[in-house]
Amino acid sequence: MPRFGGTALSLALALMLALCSCSPSRETAKPNAATPGVTDSEIVLGSSLALNGHAGYLGTQTLRGALAYLNYVNEQGGIFGRRIRVIAYDDAYDPPKCLANTQHLIIADNVFALFCYVGTPTTVKILPMVEEARIPLLGMFTGANALREPFNRYLVNVRPSYYQETAAAVTHLVKDLGIKHIAVFYQYDAYGFDGLTGAELALKEFGLEPVARGSYIRGSLDVEDGLMRIQNSGAEAVVMIGTYEPCAKFIRLAAEKGFTAIFYNVSFVGAEELARRLKGVDREIVIMSQVVPPPDGVEGNAGRDDSEYVRLLARYFPGDRPNFVGLEGYANARVLVEGLKRAGPRLSREGFLDAIESMRDFNVGPGMVASFSPEDHQGMDRVYFTRLDQDEFRLMTSWSELGRDFQALQAAHAPGGGVP
Amino acid sequence: MKRRLLRISLKNKILFSILAGITVVSVAVAFLTRYILVSSLEGELAQRGSAIAHSVAERGGSFLLEKDTARLLSLIYDEAKLMERERLVDYIFVTDTRETVLAHTFTRPFPDELRPLLHLSPDRGKLVRGLTLDDKDVVDITVPINEGLYRIGVVHVGLSQSHIDRLVAKLRITFLGFISLIIMILFFISNRLTRNITRPISRLTRISDEISRGNFDISLDLGGQEAGWNTSACPAYTNTDLPCWNFDDVPREGLSDGGDPERYRNCRQCLFYRKRDGDEVVQLADSFRNMVWSIKLYRRRLSESEDKYRSLFDAGPDPIFVVDLKTCSIIDANPRAVDLYGYPKDELMGKSFLDLGPESNREFLSAFRSSGAACVYRTKMIHYRKGERPFFVNVHACPTSYRGKTAMVLAVTDVTEMMEKDAQLIQASKMKSLGEMSAGIAHELNQPLNAIKMGSEFLLLMVERELSVDKGQFQEVVQEISSQVDRAAEIIQTLRSFGRKADLARERLDSNTPVREVLTLVRRQFELENIHFELRLAEDLPPILAQNNRLQQVFFNLLTNARDAVNERAATEGPEYRKTVTLATRLDNSRVLVEVGDNGVGIPDAVKDKIFEPFFTTKEIGQGMGLGLAITYGIVKDYGGDIRIDSSAGAGTTFQVSFPAAV
Repeated sequence: MPRFGGTALSLALALMLALCSCSPSRETAKPNAATPGVTDSEIVLGSSLALNGHAGYLGTQTLRGALAYLNYVNEQGGIFGRRIRVIAYDDAYDPPKCLANTQHLIIADNVFALFCYVGTPTTVKILPMVEEARIPLLGMFTGANALREPFNRYLVNVRPSYYQETAAAVTHLVKDLGIKHIAVFYQYDAYGFDGLTGAELALKEFGLEPVARGSYIRGSLDVEDGLMRIQNSGAEAVVMIGTYEPCAKFIRLAAEKGFTAIFYNVSFVGAEELARRLKGVDREIVIMSQVVPPPDGVEGNAGRDDSEYVRLLARYFPGDRPNFVGLEGYANARVLVEGLKRAGPRLSREGFLDAIESMRDFNVGPGMVASFSPEDHQGMDRVYFTRLDQDEFRLMTSWSELGRDFQALQAAHAPGGGVP
Repeated sequence: MKRRLLRISLKNKILFSILAGITVVSVAVAFLTRYILVSSLEGELAQRGSAIAHSVAERGGSFLLEKDTARLLSLIYDEAKLMERERLVDYIFVTDTRETVLAHTFTRPFPDELRPLLHLSPDRGKLVRGLTLDDKDVVDITVPINEGLYRIGVVHVGLSQSHIDRLVAKLRITFLGFISLIIMILFFISNRLTRNITRPISRLTRISDEISRGNFDISLDLGGQEAGWNTSACPAYTNTDLPCWNFDDVPREGLSDGGDPERYRNCRQCLFYRKRDGDEVVQLADSFRNMVWSIKLYRRRLSESEDKYRSLFDAGPDPIFVVDLKTCSIIDANPRAVDLYGYPKDELMGKSFLDLGPESNREFLSAFRSSGAACVYRTKMIHYRKGERPFFVNVHACPTSYRGKTAMVLAVTDVTEMMEKDAQLIQASKMKSLGEMSAGIAHELNQPLNAIKMGSEFLLLMVERELSVDKGQFQEVVQEISSQVDRAAEIIQTLRSFGRKADLARERLDSNTPVREVLTLVRRQFELENIHFELRLAEDLPPILAQNNRLQQVFFNLLTNARDAVNERAATEGPEYRKTVTLATRLDNSRVLVEVGDNGVGIPDAVKDKIFEPFFTTKEIGQGMGLGLAITYGIVKDYGGDIRIDSSAGAGTTFQVSFPAAV
């Protein structure tokens, strides 16, 4: 065995290192700056969401639900003497606008964190900016998978994802109701695709596939094509991922065409608005999954003490009816405040995130529990189901009852009538 | 420093040379590669940036016109952050014609370092400039946004150089790794190769060191195939008379057909010499091996030869000395010599040669030196054993070169016994001579006795007759008696000394002394026979080294012969013939001459050579033994003398004896 002169070898290596001199990278660490958006008296948060336009209701209610709680906290003296202020800009559900707003919030308004964003395409658009600015984004009114995978430390999701919603629904449909023919109707954008993928994944678990896929272009109401396709496929249930206007139209037309099925909507569709638009349609079974329990309480709670959200909403925004969307906003605010409290008086963005990650089984509200960890930024995981009943979405208690109703409905349509 | 360089082992020398070569090549290649890579990468970068900028300019034009900054922002954001662009693009910003930034992709306020860029705008095409932003190297590419020919804005794309830096770093690491690998491989290979050279060489060095120390038994195993030499397998080794074809010269003349010497080999298959095919190392090994075998052979021959001559010296029957001519000391002696002289060997060695024979050796040495290259033979020298015991030797010396010194080798023969026999012989002869002389001696003695008788009778008579003798007369008679007694005593003394056994030692002697003494012995007799003496004795002769008694013998013999010669002539001559014997002594050069001449019958030429031979006589049987002249000759020679005859038949003879004068 040749004796490797260690000296010879290291000499050679040293020579090589010396000769291949190239400019070393001069990346230096970013200098430590003071925490933006935090002063002795206030914490400033930023939000860009749809306050106007076809999704304006979603943004408005989310914000109000959150503000109800935040105002209350400020009234109590704030957190460690700091009051919370939210700067909100309207982006009308338009991604470029959302991007511009967010850049403004970060650079000009110098906010501490971003809060209460609405919509998938908008939120997804600003992800690179959030990444680069290293600013936390907490509470997004969207179940998009892109916000959860790949894991991003700066994104704090409170509401469950669409995957979780559709998986729960499909599981119930297949297992409890024995339905195998399930179609998907979706908005032709990232949000819709996300839901579609979720449904497909959920169906795959059972070895099934959507029997039909129908879509409509975002912002339009051209649902006829999709309806025809789905109706022709003989679907027994339709998973709907869209907004309330087109979804309402779809269900109406289906009813008119005599297409009976269980219409399952994801929460984002918007329960109150959908209910309003479906007044008079009673021959269809319409269910919706929710990520928060009904604002007037989980079953057994109805009639008793109103939840804090209801009370606070009544106080700060009298005239606004408690709704699912607002409750989500409220839930966002609850998580935010708890995080700020746990972060302590010496507030920093990283400290805030660490504080969030320390929350386990935090009671957000009645029937709502949020848990986080360094690997898990998905706070709430429970999915609730509601059914449209007498122009209102009420909490569903029994799937078997739904099954019976469905069979009855089908039987009613079977002889003679049925599918044209 | 240079010496240290020389002392580095071959293996390391080769390795460092290779390393140096590799290093030089690597450095060159590295710099070249880096230059090429960096310049082309920068070009690529600029091109890509330009493409992005143009894309933004193209698509953003309408947004500019509509003043839709949100869409513009969305556009540049997409261009900047999409997939791999994020690594490449550091920023993009768009300005209007009034140098107001309409949209940028920073998440912080627009950096002040970029403000100067706003002033510069390209007339057409693109503008590329390098700058530093946040301690990072950035290339800014500026492209105008035109609507037709009208400028409506400018787009700046900042490309991060870190992209390139990373590539270069990757290149560097790869290169380093590769070169290290190459070096390791080469290290290994060169190690292997040089070991194939240095190991056999080191072995050869070791072996030859051993051999130079005389250890010939070391195994010449260089490659692991040798089993050791079985020397008895080589016929030339065991028998030195048998030539080894490789070793001994094959006479060129013997190759009548101009053939290959190998054809004249004695051994069909030599077990020891060989020549294999192979590289230089193998050939060196073979050649070395052959050389060692030759040395072994040669040594064997040499040792055999030495043994042979040593045995001659040690076992030789005659005592042999080697004497250094310069220092006159004994430098070697064989066991016989040691025995003969009685000294132990270590005492004998280094002893001066002159100590062994103080009287004779010095002269012997000078005679030897002057004899040139010839050998010298000296007989009857006296040497002394340990304990000062003398004895006689014959010495035969020849010149030689002994260990580089001029020396002489002498063979010594102990002739003491012979000398004693000689002495006895001489004594016997002397007795005979004495016997011959008895009549003369008796006559010689009678005279004084008669005179004494007469004197004493005269006195008696006077007493008887009672006559008185006067004092003067009485004194005269008594004095005459006394001197006659002295005379008789002298004769007897001479006789005694003549008859005495000769002394061995030499003495400084006046030549005239033995002459005169012999004369006293023989004169009377000669006169009785009517032989006349003529004496011419020189005075002040230098002495010679001889023995009185012996010289008397010599002269007695010569005189006797002269008497016989003249008597013989007288028998045939008439009465006019006057028998004459001459005795002369003189100095001639440095030699003392004693001449005994006669006018007798002379010696015929035929006989002249023989007369000194023992037992040669011209006398009739019973008259003489023929030893006289032989003995005479011997004695003369003993004393370093010479004897010459000058004679003609019928005219007379002169014997001339010469001796060197004593120094």
